[in-house]
Amino acid sequence: MSRVQDRLGTWIGWALFADLASAFTLTFGYMFSRPVTMQYPDKEKWLPYSRYRGHHFLKRDEEGEIKCVACELCARICPCDCIEVVPYEDENGKRHPAKFEIDTARCLFCGLCEDACPADAIALGQQYEFSSFSSRDLVIGRDDLLGKPGKAMTGGGVVTARLNTEEDVLVETSEPHGYNWWRNIRRT
Amino acid sequence: MELLFALGLIAIKIALLIAMLLLLPLPLTWLERKLAGHMQQRMGPMRVGWHGLLQPVADGIKLLTKEDHIPAEADRFLFKLAPILALAPPFVVFVAIPFGETVSVLNAEITLYVSNLNVALLFVFAVIGLEVYGVIFGGWAANSKYAVLGSLRTCAQMISYEIPMGFAVVGVVMLAQSMSLVDIVRAQSDVWNIVYQPVGFLVFFVAGLAEAQRIPFDLAEAEGDLGAGFHTEYSGIRFAFFMVSEYVIVLLVSVLSVILFFGGWNGVLIPLPPLLWFALKVAFFIYVFMWFRFTLPRYRYDQLMAIGWKVLLPLSMANIIVTGIVFS
Repeated sequence: MSRVQDRLGTWIGWALFADLASAFTLTFGYMFSRPVTMQYPDKEKWLPYSRYRGHHFLKRDEEGEIKCVACELCARICPCDCIEVVPYEDENGKRHPAKFEIDTARCLFCGLCEDACPADAIALGQQYEFSSFSSRDLVIGRDDLLGKPGKAMTGGGVVTARLNTEEDVLVETSEPHGYNWWRNIRRT
Repeated sequence: MELLFALGLIAIKIALLIAMLLLLPLPLTWLERKLAGHMQQRMGPMRVGWHGLLQPVADGIKLLTKEDHIPAEADRFLFKLAPILALAPPFVVFVAIPFGETVSVLNAEITLYVSNLNVALLFVFAVIGLEVYGVIFGGWAANSKYAVLGSLRTCAQMISYEIPMGFAVVGVVMLAQSMSLVDIVRAQSDVWNIVYQPVGFLVFFVAGLAEAQRIPFDLAEAEGDLGAGFHTEYSGIRFAFFMVSEYVIVLLVSVLSVILFFGGWNGVLIPLPPLLWFALKVAFFIYVFMWFRFTLPRYRYDQLMAIGWKVLLPLSMANIIVTGIVFS
């Protein structure tokens, strides 16, 4: 009995275009909802979370000395063999890297170097804008790695930004937090 | 002297009409992309001009400067002829379309139509039927399997949908006792035809969607399965001709819906200028067209034919019979 009623209801609904009506109200509602587009890189930019694995950076200790002890564990564990470390010994008898190169063109950003490091010297930071016209430019040396930005402190927000046309891909941001992009996601 | 004045007036009207029809697709493409974007929670064009307002101009420049490619095995004459054949009929149709009653400019009574044909409705349907030639020639001449399939589909679709479309307006002609579009609008000055002819309007609008080859009936250019249908091989300005033709037909079906079923330039409640009322109603129908496009999926080909022959045709015939019995 109920099945017959259901079928009858479906037919009446079809005859009165109830299915079409619900579809049109849905799209009409969506038309006045806020767009989720992030206008990168002209106007807005995404801030990554602190767990984000972006460009590598090397850390310094309190005296400003490089933390890396050139044990080459990161080079060993690297699955794509993109880290090259050459050690030297300074006047105090401490090991440091004379050469520390990461080929970011080959890197797969797995973060194993960060896990393997016994001296907490290397980590994957927040920078994600480092595309280049030449794969040679993607081989990053020790001094550049020391200057790269570290882990993000805040994240998950969208901040106003503008494209810096002087440098190729850098996007400048001013505010630290921005608005939460997820507020635009409509859940029905 | 008077003859010269009348001829000059007609020339000015035609020039204005052509300018309007050639320029109107520009804001319509912008509007369509904007609506598509916002219905899908995107923004649509934003880069060129304020909120992408100059995007159609940029697109036009792009199409004009692109290579005008003709496939090696194509029938060159038909390939060049087809876009013109597709573009001309929608423009010709607007000769018979009235946009309002007479207005007085500088002490002269000027009618807002190029000509008030006494068989205007017949003329509209006859000429718009010619548009199918452009599509068929375009698909055939390109010598591409997608184009041929697209044009064959269009051929079947247009022929089967023109019949219910023609039958659907018979009820309107019965009510107005005239085929002149001006008389049809005058006959609706008290009550719009939509009140008496809801089924007729339904059939007309669905068939109009199919005529304009818009979703859910855009089998002719079904992007998913046919590349771009009959204009797969077209590029540059010839492609733009097909696009302009498509938008002018959308405009035409909107204008016809307003004139035949929604009282033309007759307003209700709010006393606005007749021309403004007309424009508002047409704008609403164009919006509905775009709303349909971004809401509904595409019908399958056999479903399309089944709707045309098994649903719309009997409905339009029943509409004629009922109208004839009730209003005779």
